[in-house]
Amino acid sequence: MTGRVIVITSGKGGVGKTTTSANIGTALAKSGYKVVLIDTDLGLRNLDLLLGLENRIVYTIVDVIEERCKLKQALVKDKKNPNLQLLAAAQTRDKTAVNAEQLKEICDILKEDNDFVLVDCPAGIEQGFQNAVAGASEAIVVTTPEMSAIRDADRIIGLLNTKEEITSVKLLLNRVRPNLIKSNEMMSVDDVVGILEIPLVGIIPEDTGIITSTNKGEPIVNDENALAGKAYRNVAERILGEEVPFLDLDEPKGFMAKLRNAISKLKVKV
Amino acid sequence: MSLFSDLYNTLAKFFRNGEEQQGDASKSVATNRLKLVLMQDRTNLTPRILEQMRSELIDLLSRYVELDKELLDLNFEQEGDQVALMLSIPVIRAKDEEEIDAAIKEHEEMLKVAAQKVEAEEAEDETTEEGTENESDLKENSDSESETAEQSVESEVSETSELMDEEDKAEAEKVDAIAKELNDVPKIIKKKEKKQVSAPEEMNVSSNNNPFKSEDKVEASSEN
Repeated sequence: MTGRVIVITSGKGGVGKTTTSANIGTALAKSGYKVVLIDTDLGLRNLDLLLGLENRIVYTIVDVIEERCKLKQALVKDKKNPNLQLLAAAQTRDKTAVNAEQLKEICDILKEDNDFVLVDCPAGIEQGFQNAVAGASEAIVVTTPEMSAIRDADRIIGLLNTKEEITSVKLLLNRVRPNLIKSNEMMSVDDVVGILEIPLVGIIPEDTGIITSTNKGEPIVNDENALAGKAYRNVAERILGEEVPFLDLDEPKGFMAKLRNAISKLKVKV
Repeated sequence: MSLFSDLYNTLAKFFRNGEEQQGDASKSVATNRLKLVLMQDRTNLTPRILEQMRSELIDLLSRYVELDKELLDLNFEQEGDQVALMLSIPVIRAKDEEEIDAAIKEHEEMLKVAAQKVEAEEAEDETTEEGTENESDLKENSDSESETAEQSVESEVSETSELMDEEDKAEAEKVDAIAKELNDVPKIIKKKEKKQVSAPEEMNVSSNNNPFKSEDKVEASSEN
C-alpha cells in the first residue's frame, strides 16, 4: 500500500502544530488506520510529551539517518494504540543534522506500510520547514484567528504553493473563541478563510482541556466529552474523505442564552 | 404606539447586549490591517513604493483632469486568485484641450530637464568623488533644475526665432506668441516643482501619523 504523507505546518510557533499532529494521528489510529507521526523539530522535540511517550524513546530520526539503528527500531508504539507509532526528533541536535532528501527517503519508506505519515513541522520557514515538507504531498496549515499567526500562515501557504509535490493545502483554524467572535473582538472563521482563501479542514475551539491533556500526555481526542476532542475527530474524518459539518460553536448553552439568541435574531422594526 | 416601541427597544437592547455594544472596532481593525499587510507581503510592494506609485499616478492623471489629490485612493483588492489594483480618482473637473496640451508640453519639458540633469550628474560623477546623497542635496538639485529649465526653454526659443526671422513677418509674430507661451511654461514648472518638493514632506507626515506604525513596533518587540 501507499499511504498519504501529510505535513502539519504553520509558520508561527505556538499555534498548535504539535497538538494538532498528536490529535489527528491518534484519531486516525483509533479509526483503525496505521499511522506514523514524525517529529521534525530537531532540538525542540515535544510530540513525545503530548503522546506521553517521552520515556520510551531510545532512538531518534538522527540515529536512523546516521545509521546507528534501523528505521523500525526507532519507531515507538503508542501506549494504547499499536496502530500509532512515533519517530521522535533528536533533542541534542539541530536542524542541520538532517537534510530534505533524507527526510523524503524516510517518508517514502514509511508510507509503504502505513496509511498515514504525519510530519510535525517546526516553526519558521528555514531548513526545518524545507525538510519537513520534502516528503509530503499534502499539507495542513494550522493558524489561530490572530493577525500574526494569519500573516505567517499566508507566507507558508505561498511557499507551499511553489512546491510541485504538494497537491493539497488545507487550513485548520485553532483556538477559536466563539464568545470573542460574537462580540466582534476576534476575527471570525469566515474572516480568516476569506483572507487566506484555502479550504478549511477543521475549526478547533479553545479548550482548557488541552492543558490538562498535555499535562497527562494524553491527546484530547481520547476524551469523548471534550469539544476540542470532538472537533479533532471531525478533522480526521474529513481527512478520510467524509463530509462532516463543522461544529456550531455559536450555539449558546443554557436556557437564558438560547432565549436571548432567539430573540436577538428577530429583527422586527416597530 | 411610542410607548410600545420604547418598550420593544429596551427589551431588544437587553437581549442583544454585548452584540452591538462592543462595536466591530477591534475585529475590523485587525481584518483591515491584515489585508493591507498581506497585500504588501504578497506583492512585495512596500508602503514607500506604493506612495511613489501614487504620486506618479497623480502627476500623470492631473495632466488630463483636475483631481482631488487628497481623496485619491490607491488600494489592492483580491478577487479569487487575482490581485487587482483599485484606483479611485475624485475628479473635480475635466480639462479642456488647450490645458491638456499645455500640461503635456510642460511634462515633456520636465522630461528634457530630467534628462539634462542626469547628464549633468554623470558629468559630475566623473569629476567628483562619490558622495552620499542626502535630502538637502536633492532639494538643491531641484532648485537648480527649475533654473536650467528656464534657461533651456529660453535658448530654444531664441534659436527658433532666429530661424524664423528669415521668413514672413506674419509667421514671426506667431512665433512670438508661441515664445510668450513657452516663457510662461517655466513659471508653471517652478510652481509645480515647489509643490513636488513639499509633497514628499506631506507624505512623510501622513505616514508618521499612521496609528498602526508605532503599534506594529510594540507588537513585534513584545513577540520577539
